[in-house]
Amino acid sequence: MERGQNMSEYAVSMEHITKTFPGVKALDDVQLHLRTGEVMALLGENGAGKSTLMKILSGVYTRDSGDITIFGHKVEGDLNTKQAQELGVAIIHQELNMCQHLTVANNMFLGREIVKGGRLDTAEMNRQAVEQLAKLGIHDLAPDTIVGDLPVGRQQMVEIAKALLVNAKVLVMDEPSSALSNAEIEEMFRIVKELRSQGCAIVYISHRLQELHHIVDSVTIMRDGHYITEGKFTDFTMEQIIANMVGREITNQFPRDTVERGKKVLEVRHLKAGRAVKDVSFEAYEGEVLGFSGLVGAGRTETMRAIFGADLKDGGEVILDGKSLTIHSPADAIKQGIVLAPEDRKKDGLCTKLSIRDNIALPNLDLICSQIGTVLRKKENTMIEKGKSSLTIKMSSADVEAGSLSGGNQQKVVVAKWLARNSRVVIFDEPTRGIDVAAKVEIYQIINQLKKAGIVVIIVSSELPEVMGISDRILVMCNGRITGEVDPRSTTEQEIMTYATQFGSNE
Amino acid sequence: MNTKKIRISQSVASVITAFVGVVVLMIVFSIMNPNFIKGDSIMALLRSIVPFLLVGIGQAYVCITGNIDLSIGSVLGMSAMISATMMCNGSHPIVAVLVSFVACMAIGFINGVLVGKFKLPPFIGTLGTMTIGRGIAQLANNNYNTDNIGSEGAAQAFKNLFYYGKFLGLYNGVWIALIVWALFFYVLSFTRSGRHIYAIGSNVDAARLSGVDVFATTTKAYMVSSFCAFLTGLVTMAQSGMGSMDAGMSYEMYAVAAAVIGGVSTLGGSGLLVGVIAGAAVWAILQSGLTFAHVPVAFRNIVIGLIVVICVLFDVLRRNGKKTGKKNNSEKPAAEKAGAAK
Repeated sequence: MERGQNMSEYAVSMEHITKTFPGVKALDDVQLHLRTGEVMALLGENGAGKSTLMKILSGVYTRDSGDITIFGHKVEGDLNTKQAQELGVAIIHQELNMCQHLTVANNMFLGREIVKGGRLDTAEMNRQAVEQLAKLGIHDLAPDTIVGDLPVGRQQMVEIAKALLVNAKVLVMDEPSSALSNAEIEEMFRIVKELRSQGCAIVYISHRLQELHHIVDSVTIMRDGHYITEGKFTDFTMEQIIANMVGREITNQFPRDTVERGKKVLEVRHLKAGRAVKDVSFEAYEGEVLGFSGLVGAGRTETMRAIFGADLKDGGEVILDGKSLTIHSPADAIKQGIVLAPEDRKKDGLCTKLSIRDNIALPNLDLICSQIGTVLRKKENTMIEKGKSSLTIKMSSADVEAGSLSGGNQQKVVVAKWLARNSRVVIFDEPTRGIDVAAKVEIYQIINQLKKAGIVVIIVSSELPEVMGISDRILVMCNGRITGEVDPRSTTEQEIMTYATQFGSNE
Repeated sequence: MNTKKIRISQSVASVITAFVGVVVLMIVFSIMNPNFIKGDSIMALLRSIVPFLLVGIGQAYVCITGNIDLSIGSVLGMSAMISATMMCNGSHPIVAVLVSFVACMAIGFINGVLVGKFKLPPFIGTLGTMTIGRGIAQLANNNYNTDNIGSEGAAQAFKNLFYYGKFLGLYNGVWIALIVWALFFYVLSFTRSGRHIYAIGSNVDAARLSGVDVFATTTKAYMVSSFCAFLTGLVTMAQSGMGSMDAGMSYEMYAVAAAVIGGVSTLGGSGLLVGVIAGAAVWAILQSGLTFAHVPVAFRNIVIGLIVVICVLFDVLRRNGKKTGKKNNSEKPAAEKAGAAK
């Protein structure tokens, strides 16, 4: 593929885009050039302005100034979502917009149902849905399947097929891989390549830098609302990309401190819970970070939730410091020294409408209340200050609504919630999903501090480099069981994947 | 950027709006009829706020948890009917009040179990207890309103305590409402239980994973609501001197109105009890002002209904507006000049 300089070769060109929100300049003279038949990675930390730029491209936000040209058509005046769609721009959001109770075909034709003689022409819609899916190389998905019954990866395919149904030629994919298992990611890559060969232009937004080399042709890097650089992907080294994103060199992506392994703290015996956790036993020691790896759906999250009392246990024992615990609810677990920072911060981690203060204090009210339950403001302030300084949460005040923070800072609030207590075991479920490199490193440092303080840290992560970089020992799960234990210092991704796909024969 | 006041200012803004509404209504109605702000009318007006304020506090608690309590009116009716019936049958008012208290709190507890434990949709769950409660109120005196509880001794003391008596120039009913308000204001704003109530209204999953007992918190809110309805039942019963089977009819609606006009979100997670005072006042002023102005009842209902819808509409629009407009942009480090590294 030759990289032309001719403007008309661009599928999309955006020049001098500026966008101001009350009090904040979100985009300042930003440019973007996307060619047909190309996959471009749009990179930058959270809050760099990637989403804002893409929302301008798709008509969700209107720009203050700047030029947008889509397939040679220069957009005059404001661009609205309908125009953007007509010009062929479609966004696949990180959180999928699917009606879970409707069928695949219903979802694909939502809002533009085919009607014949006043009746829905279901047969025709199903036929076209199958046809569209086939174009993506998907032949085993019945159009009358209920979307809610499909795995996330499949739902994403439906979403892509839906976008193509309206002739999308520019596809923006916002963190498409963050919720997918490795097999699903491969499938998604295959489809992205397929689209590219059909002449689609694709903007690919992802924090998983390691996966880019599979599909990306070019990169555009943004930082703090500014355009930084663009170019062919192969012209950059990973270090250069990261340096451009954060504006400084991050020398060690995974700072792992080695601490002498101490006595046994946590022991889980034959844990069973629902369909996802079949029989899990493991031990965790003072001074170690225990990583849990595996494919999405292996039962790692469910194991942690069962230990924490968030889900019902069907059997098994949780032993802390030699004492068997009775845990019926998260409240019981917290009281006895086991805490969990959950995977989905919007759904499980934060009360987004409440202030940062309220969020950090929430699980710790027992520590800062008088006997009659009055919240002691002084103690609370001390606690908030501690949380704020141990993780540099960027905020103008602790009374800001937590939902107004960027993803990385929200995640830091979720983590900070659990640092105020003297817990014995801290479980992090996907602690760095969807957050930027600098915020990741801060969270790794917190994990190291906890480890040094003799606290058992359990980390569930789907990112292999992360779990290999930060853990002292890795347990691999597959299909509700632990299938392997590896030493992250000597293991390989291949070895972990071998264990992660060791589906038992007795199923 | 000064985001410090985002949450505060939204709740406070609705409270201020509600108080401005109170002032505007007062001015409008006194221009229409100058008698409206004469001393006696004001005292009467203050007293007429009491029931709306009491039930409004209860509904506000439930709304902040993200639920709704439709049983308020029926619990009010139960409270009035059970206590009046027992007093007419010769029970001491203290005993009558205690029995009625237990019955009313039982409804609150059941609401908590249905919604907090069995996860029934609050609208349906409390619709059920609303019907049951009304049935109990009717059953209390065999489907008749009660006789007057009389005006001797303990019965008169009861009437004075809850309605006719005065203390420091204010009717006792007003004092009761103020004390109850102050108590629950304190609980909601300054205690652990209060934080839990906001938390489950904002995000019930996150609250549970933070160790909040969702069932207990939901039940507490419903029991506060029932307690307020119970007290209101006593106040209205003391006023009329008898138990009416229709006592409290539509009060769940008035309660929603007082809370919502006062800026409590029906979607949960936000709202201030200060606003409920203004909400109840707006409601009471409209009721009596429109009466003063000889506006027919049917028309009054339409006006009042419209106001409630508009308040809820504003709340929902504000929240939706925030969802699409604010994302990711309110918290950004000061943009630094950065040149291309390549």
